[in-house]
Amino acid sequence: MLKVFTKTDYLLRETLLGLRRGGWMNWAAISTMTVLLFLFGVSLQSTWQLEGLLNQFGSQLEVSVYLASGFEAKALAPTIGKMPEAIAVETISKEAAWASLVEEMGISDIEGATEQLNGNPLVDELKVKARSSEEVPALASKLNQMQGVEEVLYITEAVQRLAQLNEGLRWISLFVIIVLSLTAIAVITTTIRLIVMARRREIEVMQLVGATSAWIYLPFILQGATFGLVGAGLSWGLMLGIHRFLEKFATQQPDFIQFLINGLQLSAQQNLLLPVALFALGSAVGLMGSLFAVRKFALR
Amino acid sequence: MTFVAPRSDSSPTPVSQNIRERLEQRLHRTSTPDGSNQDEFQEPQPTRSPMVVLSNISKTYRNGSKALINVNLQVKRGDFLFVTGPSGSGKSTLLKLLYGQERPSSGEIMVNDHNLSQVKGNRLAKLRRRIGIVFQDYKLIPRRTVAENVEFVLWAQGFTRKEINRRLWPTLKMVGLQHKARCFPDELSGGEQQRVSIARAVVSTPPLLLADEPTGNLDSDNSIQVIRILKKLNSIGITVIVTTHNEQLVRISNHPVVQIHNGYLHQVRQ
Repeated sequence: MLKVFTKTDYLLRETLLGLRRGGWMNWAAISTMTVLLFLFGVSLQSTWQLEGLLNQFGSQLEVSVYLASGFEAKALAPTIGKMPEAIAVETISKEAAWASLVEEMGISDIEGATEQLNGNPLVDELKVKARSSEEVPALASKLNQMQGVEEVLYITEAVQRLAQLNEGLRWISLFVIIVLSLTAIAVITTTIRLIVMARRREIEVMQLVGATSAWIYLPFILQGATFGLVGAGLSWGLMLGIHRFLEKFATQQPDFIQFLINGLQLSAQQNLLLPVALFALGSAVGLMGSLFAVRKFALR
Repeated sequence: MTFVAPRSDSSPTPVSQNIRERLEQRLHRTSTPDGSNQDEFQEPQPTRSPMVVLSNISKTYRNGSKALINVNLQVKRGDFLFVTGPSGSGKSTLLKLLYGQERPSSGEIMVNDHNLSQVKGNRLAKLRRRIGIVFQDYKLIPRRTVAENVEFVLWAQGFTRKEINRRLWPTLKMVGLQHKARCFPDELSGGEQQRVSIARAVVSTPPLLLADEPTGNLDSDNSIQVIRILKKLNSIGITVIVTTHNEQLVRISNHPVVQIHNGYLHQVRQ
């Protein structure tokens, strides 16, 4: 227990000393981290928002298949399930569909309603889930050619374009984030290496008096993590500030714009996930940068 | 022993019997962070076990220069040994082998009952905690005060703040530098700096002290002072190995001497 206190005492002191000695290099590292994490946060947020928007149009992967009367969904399901594009098949018998429709319409007397219409007017339905959105049209035309299939419905092309746009944006942001992460790692590595170089004598003495490598290098690694965490805090603050501003701005706007901005609200879960993701990426990049910086020295 | 006229500002307090006893008690009572102090300052026993054993050690550097050739040496616990020889004869290599900075090309090294040829990484670091090292160029950290330089070792070895405070003052007092605790190394004379580095080497109470040309950069007065401190440490049970090319220092003391010449080790005085 005492040992833990000694350790934190030592680590905090040495980490703070390192930060003090870093001077303006700290600023370089932290601002790079902030820019990286801000862009990461914004792209993550916009991906979520676009996805939310798209989900309002229903699942883009689902194809609804309506059978001609007289054909049973259960009979067709195994054949469709074997198609390479389909990953899941759900059957809805016309009885079940009718029951839920009747219930939705608020009719309590199913028998009477059925009799009135000379039997169940619905047909069997299959919901087929495609592996990816690109394969949906092919799957649909394949299904359309099957015997007993009367109609195939799937989400229109416009929505798919939007989905593709989202996908493309995600790739671009991934690329930008990777490049920026490398930049941040390089900046942190340089910063910490400079500090390690400045303290070479101390490190040499530490090695000679029997300090373990973890003991020597942990303060530097913590320093890198600090850069990441401070950057994450700043970028999160920046995002929150912008969000606040937009909300205030929206209240003075016409209803339509208010509606749009409300549509872009994040769920509570995502609101929690965003800072977690920022801090996770921040500390990961910070740790990586400092590990690269001390690796060369620690190996000796 | 010759009396050294000390410089007025840098004289080590003549260590009275009283202080010495207190220091010994202090250091005896203190414990290492992992709670083991079984091999601290062991009084010379009737049958003393060896602290350092070199058997058939040869060291050839990668550039082909032979630093040591077939060296056999045994140093018992509580011994004080001088290693002499012209510069470049392999004295420093010998000490570097003892604290694991260099590895022998052949042969076996036992230090404090551990076989050094098999130890590396963190186990080597733990072993080095039981060895104090003093260098010719002091290797003090310029931006830390005397007290911080000495404390630094204890921090590096994971001592608690309380334990560090308890050890610091007796150690500084022993080398006569308690009044310079807040000075930076560049504000001290060479002799004082070397005394700081001795304090740093012994503050963790190692049973073995290695001094590599501790007097190399000092005038004769300061050299004698340094040797006196080393002898004092030896008298409380620390095994001391000193390399020097200063024959005069060796002559004024009656401790065993070995000489290294062109990589070969000779016993000069038992």
